[in-house]
Amino acid sequence: MQKKTTIALAVAAAILGVVAYIQGGWSLVWAGIGRGAGIMTSVALLILAAFTVAGLIQAVISEKTIARWLGRESGLRGILIGGLAGALIPGGPYVYYPIAVSFLKAGADIGTIISFVTAKNLWAVSRLPLEFALLGPKLTVTRFLVTLLFPPLMGLAAQVLFGNTLLIGERGKESS
Amino acid sequence: MSGITFLLALVATGLFLYAYTRGGNLHWKGVRTGGRMLVGMFPLLLAAFVLAGFLEVLIPPELVRTWLGDDAGWRAILMGSFAGALIPGGPYVSFPIMASVFRAGASLGTAVSFITGWALWNTGILSFELALMGPRFTLVRVVVTSIFPPLAGFLAQLLVGGGF
Repeated sequence: MQKKTTIALAVAAAILGVVAYIQGGWSLVWAGIGRGAGIMTSVALLILAAFTVAGLIQAVISEKTIARWLGRESGLRGILIGGLAGALIPGGPYVYYPIAVSFLKAGADIGTIISFVTAKNLWAVSRLPLEFALLGPKLTVTRFLVTLLFPPLMGLAAQVLFGNTLLIGERGKESS
Repeated sequence: MSGITFLLALVATGLFLYAYTRGGNLHWKGVRTGGRMLVGMFPLLLAAFVLAGFLEVLIPPELVRTWLGDDAGWRAILMGSFAGALIPGGPYVSFPIMASVFRAGASLGTAVSFITGWALWNTGILSFELALMGPRFTLVRVVVTSIFPPLAGFLAQLLVGGGF
């Protein structure tokens, strides 16, 4: 997946390079590459620190800890703990979706799982350093504060609207 | 920006010390994990930054300001949400691209809806979610998240970005 993304991005960059060449010749091509390299070097230290933080978070918080927390939480408590777990768990969709499946199997409520998945995407603690580094403090803080209430709200909405019937016949039932 | 670097270095040091007290060489394991991630992601980062650089020199700022700037209002926030949903890949890909668009003159509300749209509506992970979580969970997730990216952009623009 990551390899595919890299290739897709490289292809997109190459296409834009050709566009730049057509519009302004080699000088515009070099200006684009130089601009990219400039941004990258200006945030190099930050990226280094961000990755160190992300790696340490991964070492300190194991997937097992999160799964133990969440197994059978339900109701509002489940929604809040689900959100907290989502915020803390590092890694991309290939890490957190399999974990969400294990919650589903353990019998967690839909609200809990929804708030887990959405908090992973909105609160993600290990992603914040990178967001700070690349997008700047104003945008990052605004974005974070504005979306602060969203994961529990979405969990609650899922629980209220779809809480009773939905997970019957879902994968979670296979184990029971 | 150096303040943030310092802050991050502080957080890293704190985590390092905490991991050390937990024993089992956890502290070096964490640093190694971070290093491996960085090395593994480097080609991706490089491609993303070169792409962002090209976007910066190629996208005319006046076009961004007209379509995504402060005066573009609701339309810009909706477009930001959808554009975010279409950006593939993780934060290493999307953040440099979003930073380029923001620097070119997109409004705060547009930028926030862009990030939130990428985070919540991400079309790239839909098939994975469907396969693992099943269609019903995916449908519920899509339905309950549906209004939130534009809402986030609207709130950001209203409260911090200077209104419409």
